[in-house]
Amino acid sequence: MKQTSDIEAHSPAATGVSNVELARNVRSSGFWRVLSRILDFVLAGLFIYAGALKAIDPVQFANDIDNYKLLPWSLSVAVAFYLPWLEILCALGLVFRFLYRGALAVLTASIVVFTFATIAAKVRGLDITCGCFGHASQHWSFPSHLVTNLGILAGLLFLFFKATTRNSPQKAV
Amino acid sequence: MKSSLVGQAVILAALALLPAAGEAIYFRDKISWRSAIAPSEMLTVEQARELGDTAIWVDARPDDDFANDHVPGAISLNEDRWNELLPQFLAVWAPGKKVVLYCSSLSCNASREVARRLRKEAQLSDVFVLEGGWEAWLKKNR
Repeated sequence: MKQTSDIEAHSPAATGVSNVELARNVRSSGFWRVLSRILDFVLAGLFIYAGALKAIDPVQFANDIDNYKLLPWSLSVAVAFYLPWLEILCALGLVFRFLYRGALAVLTASIVVFTFATIAAKVRGLDITCGCFGHASQHWSFPSHLVTNLGILAGLLFLFFKATTRNSPQKAV
Repeated sequence: MKSSLVGQAVILAALALLPAAGEAIYFRDKISWRSAIAPSEMLTVEQARELGDTAIWVDARPDDDFANDHVPGAISLNEDRWNELLPQFLAVWAPGKKVVLYCSSLSCNASREVARRLRKEAQLSDVFVLEGGWEAWLKKNR
C-alpha cells in the first residue's frame, strides 16, 4: 500500500509537473547518466593505464617519487609498490560500479595530492618528471601536468556529484 | 554496496595491499628499501678490492674533497664539472673494466647520480656504487 501512495505522491498530478516536462526531465537525466558512464570509462582507462605503467616498473616510480624530496626512500618504495595497485583497483571500481563512491573518493584524494606535490616541486625549483604516466609523461611541462590533473579532478568531482545526488532520497524519482 | 564512503575507501585501500605485497616480494632483489641503489649495483669495500686491476675507482665528491684526499688511483668525476671530467674518465675506461663510484657516505646521492648518468649517457653497464662511500673505505683502510 505504501508503494502505491509513493507513486501517487510523485505522479504528475500530485507534483504539478506536466507530462511534457516529465518526459524532458527523464530524457535529460538519461543524457547525464550516459555522460557520467562515458566519463567513468574514460577516467578508469586513464588510471588503469597510469597504474599499469607504474606497476610494471616500480623501481623507476620509486625514483620518480624520491625526486620530489618529500618522503624518505623507504616510504617512496612503499608508495611505489602500493599506489599503482590502488589506482587500478579504484579504476575497476568505476568500471564495474563496485565500491563506487569509495573509489571516487580515493582517486579524488590522490589527484589532489599529486597536484599539490607537483606545485610544491615547482615552487621549490625542482626540475623533475612527475612519473604519473611512466615514461610517457617524462617530457611534460609543468602547465601540461597541471591542466591534466585539474581536468581529471573536474571529471572526478562531476562523477562524485552525480553519485551523491543519485543516491539522495529527494532525487530518488 | 550500501557501506559508507569511508568504509568503501578503506576496503579498496586494504585490497590494494595484496598485489602490492606480491610485487614487493617479486622485486625484492631489484630494489633496496634502505637505499635508492639496487643491491646488484652496490659493492662493499671488500668486494670492490677483490676486483683488483679491473676496477676503475671514481670519486663523485666535489673537487675540494677529492683534492683533500681520495682512494689511491681514483679519478674525479662529479656533476659540477661533468662535461669537463667525462672525457677524462672515458680516456681511462676500457671495455671489461668495472667502474666503482663513491661519494662521502651511505646517505650521499652523488655516486648514485653519476652512476645513473654513466649508464644512460655513456651507455656503460658495469657501474657499481661503493656501499658506505668514502667513510666506509676510510674505516677499512685505517
